[in-house]
Amino acid sequence: MTAQTLLFELLIPVAKIIAVILYPMIMVIVMIWLERRVVAWIQGRVGPNRVGFQGILQPTADALKLFFKEDIIQREADAFLFNISPHLVMFSSLLAFCFVPLGESFRIGGYTLNLWVASSPVGLLLVLGLSAVGVFGIIFGGWASNSKYPLMGALRSVVQVLSYEIPIGLTVLTVVFFSRSIDLVEIVNHQQHGKIWFGFMLPVSFIVFWISGIAETNRAPFDLPEAESELVAGYHTEYSGMKFAYFYIAEYTHMVLVSSLVVILFFGGWLPPFPNARFFSFLHWIPGFVWYLIKIMFFLYVYVWIRATLPRYRFDALIKLAWKWFVPLSMANFFVVVALKYLL
Amino acid sequence: MAFKELELNMGPQHPSTHGVLRLKLAVDNEVVLSIEPIIGYLHRGMEKLWENLTYPQIVPLTDRLDYLAAVSNNLAYVLAVEKLMDLEIPKRAQYIRVILAELQRLASHLAAVGFMANDIGAMSVLLYCFQIREGILDIFENYTGGRLTVHGMRIGGVPFDLDEKVTAMIRKTLAGIPEKIRDIEGLLNENRIWKHRTKGIGLISPEDALARGLTGPALRATGVAWDIRKNIPYCSYEDFDFDVPVLKGGDVYDRYIVRMEEMRQSMRIIEQALEKLPPGIFRATVPHSLKIPVGEVFFTIEAPKGELGFYIKSNGTDKPERVKMKSPSFINLQSLELMCKGNLFSDVVGILGSLDIVLGEIDK
Amino acid sequence: MSKTRSFLRKFLLIDIFQGLLITLKYYFSSKVTIQYPEEVQPPPERFKGLLRLYRDEAGEPLCIACKACQRICPTDCFDIEGERREGARRMWPTRFNWKLDRCTSCGLCVEVCPTDAIRHSDAFRMTSLSRGPLLFHHPEMYLTGEELQKYFCGGCLR
Repeated sequence: MTAQTLLFELLIPVAKIIAVILYPMIMVIVMIWLERRVVAWIQGRVGPNRVGFQGILQPTADALKLFFKEDIIQREADAFLFNISPHLVMFSSLLAFCFVPLGESFRIGGYTLNLWVASSPVGLLLVLGLSAVGVFGIIFGGWASNSKYPLMGALRSVVQVLSYEIPIGLTVLTVVFFSRSIDLVEIVNHQQHGKIWFGFMLPVSFIVFWISGIAETNRAPFDLPEAESELVAGYHTEYSGMKFAYFYIAEYTHMVLVSSLVVILFFGGWLPPFPNARFFSFLHWIPGFVWYLIKIMFFLYVYVWIRATLPRYRFDALIKLAWKWFVPLSMANFFVVVALKYLL
Repeated sequence: MAFKELELNMGPQHPSTHGVLRLKLAVDNEVVLSIEPIIGYLHRGMEKLWENLTYPQIVPLTDRLDYLAAVSNNLAYVLAVEKLMDLEIPKRAQYIRVILAELQRLASHLAAVGFMANDIGAMSVLLYCFQIREGILDIFENYTGGRLTVHGMRIGGVPFDLDEKVTAMIRKTLAGIPEKIRDIEGLLNENRIWKHRTKGIGLISPEDALARGLTGPALRATGVAWDIRKNIPYCSYEDFDFDVPVLKGGDVYDRYIVRMEEMRQSMRIIEQALEKLPPGIFRATVPHSLKIPVGEVFFTIEAPKGELGFYIKSNGTDKPERVKMKSPSFINLQSLELMCKGNLFSDVVGILGSLDIVLGEIDK
Repeated sequence: MSKTRSFLRKFLLIDIFQGLLITLKYYFSSKVTIQYPEEVQPPPERFKGLLRLYRDEAGEPLCIACKACQRICPTDCFDIEGERREGARRMWPTRFNWKLDRCTSCGLCVEVCPTDAIRHSDAFRMTSLSRGPLLFHHPEMYLTGEELQKYFCGGCLR
């Protein structure tokens, strides 16, 4: 076993796996801080600013507090399902991150370092499928709580996630139609060779995908199943302490995943703006994954901005929106795009 | 899986019941069949307590009834006592009372709209409404020293005169409000999600509203043009030129619009009162140990939440024989069941927010 | 509004963007938070702070133990006794007990006092670590500032 094989076959993949676990966790910590600060700033007040410099240690303080809380489990609750459901939700989101590319490949010496853990020719399908596996965690959580309100909340969440999977699939079809590949790396590369990014070429797809993504992650304005002022507090009512923290973190991880997908599919992934124009070629000096992070941060800002502004949809209107508006709209969009491509 | 009739409990501790109110709901597959409000968690025995206090001593305690609109309670009580005593109030005092009452109406409606928006999900609107409200509470703080328990009325007039500083503060605050109200309306009025959550929800017909004694903005949103300030004027309200917004929808959206319009009309009244403020004394002399001859009176005013009334029975001593308060929220709460029937239970919070109840008033 | 215009408004999410722009405007405006306890807003002149007794220029208590405040207080906070001294036209208070935990800050006692002896101060930091300090005796009614804070608790001014 030469030193070379050791490095390339063992250490670098292990490092990549650790990175792919740390990257969403760090983004989640940033998101918790960002959400509280941005919502506060929109409301005309200053958010948490005492715990660290400008409050950046606030997520740590929250995590420590949740860590020390008592881990309650009811007597009649199904202990096994109760315990594994937070892990299932987190696991599905984290596993999907293995297939999300973060930037271009580097060449160091003779070795190409890929900024993704695994590259699969069906990467997009895997990511979408894995993020849907999180539904199991929600159902198990609601069922194992042995209480009618979490169960109702869990069922609503599940219906919501499944209903909005369909517009996501249909809008992604339009992107795939142009990029002719469902490998995420190829989709980004195609946006470099093509003239404009898919977000500008297919605005309807982008908007429908983005709104469905917000609905998938159970965020405002689609957060009725888990809003504080509603009767049913959702599938994580009976969870306390670290398990609740897991659900919380898993929701933010899913948000980061959806933002990554939007950026990769519609906004050029790691490409700088105007990737082909020679005038802007100085932008290439900034490495790809920095552009990627900038774009993801923008979409996370938009998530929080929307949460602070809009009221909540009622549940039946939520589902009606998915089935009566988004599904026909995305199907019509697909046909219009196909027709336009063949006519022009 | 079909849920048969479920009995749900929105317990006394809940983020959306405005105070400690317990609602027992019977729900059939998300549609509300019946609601039973259970009150009494904030009962403090006010009416019995007042039988042992003299008339001037009761005034600061009326602050604590509708704690979001303290001055209105004070006004209703002192007007009732003055009517019982047949006391003539100087004109300047009446105008200052109108200014304070309308400022309090602004503050109360802002809190109502803010909390309703927060329950439906638009959390920033609550903070914007409260920023405006802070300006108004600062005025009260500079006038009497209290923000929430203002104690802004005395039997015979008002405690202090409106000096330069307070008048300048009122004008400055009022100048800044219309733009912020426009912002709030821009966030809510045309918003499709807001309209979806509030239009056609919590409907009540004018006949049902009158049969159940609904008063205040909720009644005016059903089409009945009844405002005590116009129909039975008190405290020089007839000197001012203002409109009373009346809408016909009877749903949550219309109640919200009526409140926003009433805020604008309140600002009009305050400006007119400041312009036309007559010189004179601001408080008639009334002895501190006040003895009122035997008699009884029932006097109502248009409080921000509806018709607020005091029934006082005197027995010749300096303490009343019986004081009974008619609180608008208590009567308005009766209409909750009719408004919620047939709606989904996610709408109950919105309807409750639009009714604008305060438990301090209900439970006394 | 014509049908096409309202359809376009609905399709292009104009009302949602309008709301988003309003919140964006507030995002960039100045914030109203006051960082207490580093910044403290000075209370206005008529602020109903902690009730204090005052002395006149000669150092004598202004209070003449007329018990008007005791009679008017709705919540029965006062317990006053007075004495007349040799050759004086006025009375002096021998006992002036005041209960802070019953006071509702209504201001009636301040209005009623004939000599302006009892007034609202601007002290509002009234936390104490036990119930003892909430009952003020006559000498303690004159404490202000630092000494008042020390009387209540350690005096950390929070």
